[in-house]
Amino acid sequence: MRLSAQERLAYPLLVPAAALIGALILYPIGATIVTAFATTDKLGRIVGVAGWRNFQALAADPAFWQIFRRTFVWTAIAVAVKTTAGLAFALLLNLPFHGRRAVRLLTVIPWALPYPISAMIWQWTYNSQFGLLNRFLQATGLWPHPPAWLASPGSAFAANLIVDIWIGLPFFALVFLAGLQAISPEYHEAAAIDGAGAAARFAAVTLPFLRPVIVMASLLSVIWTFNDFSVPYIVTKGGPINTTDILVTHLYKTAFQFLDFGPASAIAIITFLTLLAFSLLYARLYFREVG
Amino acid sequence: MRRRIALAAGAALCIGLLAVPALGGGAVSIRAVWMEYDARYNTFWQQLKKDFEAANPGITVDTVIVPWSEGHDRLVTWIAGNQAPDLAIVGTRWILEFNKMGVVEPVDTFMPKAFTHKFIGPALEARIGGRLYGVPVALSARALYYRSDLIKTPPRTWQEMLAVAQRVAKPGSLYGIGVSGKKFAELTEYVYYLYGNGGDFFVTNPDGSYGRCRVNDAAGVEALQFMTDLVNKYKVTEPNVAENDRGTLQDLFLAGKLAMIETGPWFGGMIQERAKSLPFAVAPMPHNQGKPQHTLLVTDSIIVFKSAKHKDAVAKFLEFAYNDRHRLEFDKDFGMLPVVKTVARNAYFQTPFYRPFIEQLPTAKPWPLVAEWSKVEDVMWDAVTSALLRAKSPRQALTDACREIDQARGVK
Repeated sequence: MRLSAQERLAYPLLVPAAALIGALILYPIGATIVTAFATTDKLGRIVGVAGWRNFQALAADPAFWQIFRRTFVWTAIAVAVKTTAGLAFALLLNLPFHGRRAVRLLTVIPWALPYPISAMIWQWTYNSQFGLLNRFLQATGLWPHPPAWLASPGSAFAANLIVDIWIGLPFFALVFLAGLQAISPEYHEAAAIDGAGAAARFAAVTLPFLRPVIVMASLLSVIWTFNDFSVPYIVTKGGPINTTDILVTHLYKTAFQFLDFGPASAIAIITFLTLLAFSLLYARLYFREVG
Repeated sequence: MRRRIALAAGAALCIGLLAVPALGGGAVSIRAVWMEYDARYNTFWQQLKKDFEAANPGITVDTVIVPWSEGHDRLVTWIAGNQAPDLAIVGTRWILEFNKMGVVEPVDTFMPKAFTHKFIGPALEARIGGRLYGVPVALSARALYYRSDLIKTPPRTWQEMLAVAQRVAKPGSLYGIGVSGKKFAELTEYVYYLYGNGGDFFVTNPDGSYGRCRVNDAAGVEALQFMTDLVNKYKVTEPNVAENDRGTLQDLFLAGKLAMIETGPWFGGMIQERAKSLPFAVAPMPHNQGKPQHTLLVTDSIIVFKSAKHKDAVAKFLEFAYNDRHRLEFDKDFGMLPVVKTVARNAYFQTPFYRPFIEQLPTAKPWPLVAEWSKVEDVMWDAVTSALLRAKSPRQALTDACREIDQARGVK
């Protein structure tokens, strides 16, 4: 097969991108896989073969399983809330009302702020002595004796979840809003003529049209939420007593605090495989929908 | 077509240029990583750099300032990526770990003897096996800050401290004594109670090295029991101890909500700057009645990395940085005790504020130097917080901690 000059030119033009992908994505993934099966020194340099030992040690560590389960609970709750509340928000923002543009703009703020900044603001907001939140709850009489959010395991976990949801919600609201606006009003009109009420129109028109968007947005959110490092690391540092650690903060501590790069790589592989399995499942669902 | 090729060539050139490291001139450059001390805002490091560069044309100092809470992990990342700076401030307790990586150049290999003789004894904590691995840069001892309008005679023992705290505490508005349960760059305040009860982290082997973990012995358990009682039984601390670290406890004292706090000399400067009208005084760290008084002594050191290309320039910089004028400025700006003998004699340190810190130095004890310290510290934090939150009894928490620590250190 003879390539035209233009086609031949494509290859050298691809080289820089391919080199960057190789150096910045493929090489680190490969190195992590190799390190997961190795013993390393404190600098992460490979000094021996570990076989499956790093994985076996994790499997035998009850703390790891606790964090593994917690990461699933964390992701499930956060994504479920973000999806449903995001949809509700989008429906509200889709209604014609005065000042809609301003409200839409304001909605983006939590998402537009850098994650660490949001996390730091919330850390202060939650403080039981100086924080705005408890002050507000007490002053308004909404909750005369609010908990010290970050001081005990249960409420600290909930507090972290709220921050993650607060940051992630605008993304859902905007994506769903775009999805809603892509639905031609004629479908709604036709359904209304057939006598469908608001609830029936939502179930029969809005939801089916929105499904591919919901599936895609929630998949992305699962990956982001599962790997949300900033929120638990900044708001509670994984505490109290490691009760708000999720896989990615545990990984960070194992690698860069304790310098155990072999086990840390094993955690990275487990995270990667979990998310990969999940993505494949989702992709099948998505393409079945679209197909 | 020709235009496309020209465009492609242009793009390739741009990418190629990105990959070429900046080509410097003939000047020697040294890269220094300094840590951010939590005292007043200041420009010490910038001024030092300017003064040094003015006195030594041809040498430039690239300065990076990192917060303490990120310092350790950032350095590790740089070292692992072969991007270690030439010199850096580290907690002396990290040196063994870095030394195990084989990246620390002993200072005495390239600094003259006269230089190492400048320092007072307790500051030379980084002398390990006869070699000096770090130049002391900051020295602190910990003491008890108290509200002098509420407390006339400072408590000397735990028992007196408890009585004072009970007397002055007003639920909701003033708490007796601060205790923190949130992880911080160092294991405050358990170490104060451990050392003040004659306890220690490890059994010392006959050869001076550290053996088994011993915080679960009587002294260690009693220390944690006392802290837990302050929080849960006598309720003389701020509520919700697990949300506070050393920083927010200091904020509480500055806001007038704490009657007593255990911390270092930098806090005097913070009070001056942020709560000037707050009446306070400083006393030696209280200890358990009948046990000897020991407080914690902490040094930070400047280490020089083996990878540093221009050791002679680094040596010049260190000689310059350790003149009395800059050292006194450092101690004043960051609220530290003097590490240099000639500076220690300065009138600035002969005040009632500094006296309790300096008087405690001869009996003060440092952190144990073990290579696995960051792991030990993390495990200890969890143990202390578990006890404070009543998730475990102090004995159980410390027994579990010792098991984990010994396992992590490979000690039987």
